Amino acid sequence: MSKIAIISQPDQGVLIDVGGCASMQEAVSHLSSTLQVSSQFWKGVNVALNLGELELTSTQVAHILALAKGVGVYPYQVFAQQPLTRGALLEHGVVLGDGKPMTLPAMTIKVPENPTDEDWVDESVNIDSIDENSTVTVFYEPSENQLITEEVEQMEQGDQVAQDQARADGPEAQVDFTPNSETEKTEKTEKPSKAAKAKEKVEGPVHAGVMYLRQTLRSGQSVSHTGHLVIIGDVNPGAEVVAEGDITVWGALRGIARAGCSGNNDAEIRALRLQPIQIRIGESFARSPDKNRLHYDNHHGPETARVVDGKIKVFKFNPQF
Amino acid sequence: MGRVIVITSGKGGVGKTTASANIGVALANTGASVCLVDMDIGLRNLDILMGLENRVVYNLVDVVEERCKLRQALVKDKRMPNLNLLPAAQTRDKTAVDADQMKKLCEELKSMFDFVLIDSPAGIESGFQNAIAGAEEAIVITTPEMSAVRDADRIIGLLEARKDEITQYRLVLNRLRPKMVANADMMGVDDVLEILSIKLLGVVPEDEDIIISTNKGEPVSGTDNTRSGLAFRNIARRLRGEEVPFMDLDAKNDTWVTKIVNFFNPVRV
Repeated sequence: MSKIAIISQPDQGVLIDVGGCASMQEAVSHLSSTLQVSSQFWKGVNVALNLGELELTSTQVAHILALAKGVGVYPYQVFAQQPLTRGALLEHGVVLGDGKPMTLPAMTIKVPENPTDEDWVDESVNIDSIDENSTVTVFYEPSENQLITEEVEQMEQGDQVAQDQARADGPEAQVDFTPNSETEKTEKTEKPSKAAKAKEKVEGPVHAGVMYLRQTLRSGQSVSHTGHLVIIGDVNPGAEVVAEGDITVWGALRGIARAGCSGNNDAEIRALRLQPIQIRIGESFARSPDKNRLHYDNHHGPETARVVDGKIKVFKFNPQF
Repeated sequence: MGRVIVITSGKGGVGKTTASANIGVALANTGASVCLVDMDIGLRNLDILMGLENRVVYNLVDVVEERCKLRQALVKDKRMPNLNLLPAAQTRDKTAVDADQMKKLCEELKSMFDFVLIDSPAGIESGFQNAIAGAEEAIVITTPEMSAVRDADRIIGLLEARKDEITQYRLVLNRLRPKMVANADMMGVDDVLEILSIKLLGVVPEDEDIIISTNKGEPVSGTDNTRSGLAFRNIARRLRGEEVPFMDLDAKNDTWVTKIVNFFNPVRV
């Protein structure tokens, strides 16, 4: 958990998590910058708030609620651990959150113990663009999953069990997978024609799972989201953006980006200036060249990073694609 | 069982992180297995100095909160396999760990490495308290400036209060400019020792190469032909118990011979 995390799920709305903040002041400053800078985003969104372990008095709670109200945000539930804070929240007629606030799934990247250089996919992220006609990327659409009925859910659950079983059996057992997942996989890798794909994109439901953030992320800040993430601004070195879907940065991406964080290898990362320290897509990762960067002026124009044959490759942005 | 040494200063910007990186590299060069621990949670830098920023996946807070195994978080140095870095978290703050967790972590690291060097954050608050929690020895860094020496004195006082845990603490005087000392414009080694009355571990001269090395991510002590690098290597040897004479940094000893040598030597002090 970072100082502030914004987590959103199509069915549950958005959770603003300031539980990582040490003090009321810190929480308020993070909240106000987040709420105001991207106030457009919050319109008509179900917002929940997590105050974590913060101990707040009634006046402090009132301050925070006023701050949210100022940008039209009325948290439908607030999570808090401390009895003092919970009492103060009840005083103000706020609904206390049940159970645990939603969190992002844990990282799926397999990191070896004490990794050496050979363990890294040593693909310099500044590679020149290569012919990309041969590669097809299946776009990740969280809303698509919602449309499909329970069968899929059961299937996924079945997968989960199988995976758990495989994990319990050790790494070798992971090779033979359930037939369920295989069929699903082949479906996914089927290459749709470009026209069909374009149609699909136009006709498909509006992404409930897209989050826009109009803000530059500075060192130490992080944003995580369960759908696609669009940052309008820069992501500086030391900042981290995490999404289960794609990550698009309308600006310079210089920090760490993790797309497809729950294991979706089809996710993409694109930026006007793709100059990250590290990018991770699904289960692959790539790191920047070894020399520390003093100058950021050399760039290749808009670029897209995606996984090709298990390795992250960077392509010049191609509007046809 | 290894030794856990905290590198601390009180004041910021005197070279704690630079010293940690360089002493770590120098110790690893002597063949010891070394783990550098960045305790400056929220303002992490050690990975940049080591040129390992792009390899960091997990960090100290992930280890403490058991999101990964300790060995997964350790980043092996790209030059020396016996040098490892445990990076700090950048998106968290100092309250993310507590003293007991640090003690436990240090115990675990101690069993794995000959030297565990902890890079402490500036200040005397919780971050510093956590950094010294698991340490048995301390290296106090200061520069020959009134403010830095004052803060170092405060730190030494705090370390003395924990005599049971921290058995030994020694001083590294960083960024000394012999010429300014000779002109009485800067405190000399003796002046600083007079105030702090603490055992001297080393003196590091001011050196432009430090800036270059920081930007490159290659600590100077890993390369020869820099005076600061030599000073850090000497510190490492002293840490291992060797008797190493202190470098002659006295500008008064600049004879015409040394001047000619220095003229042809690109390394200036």
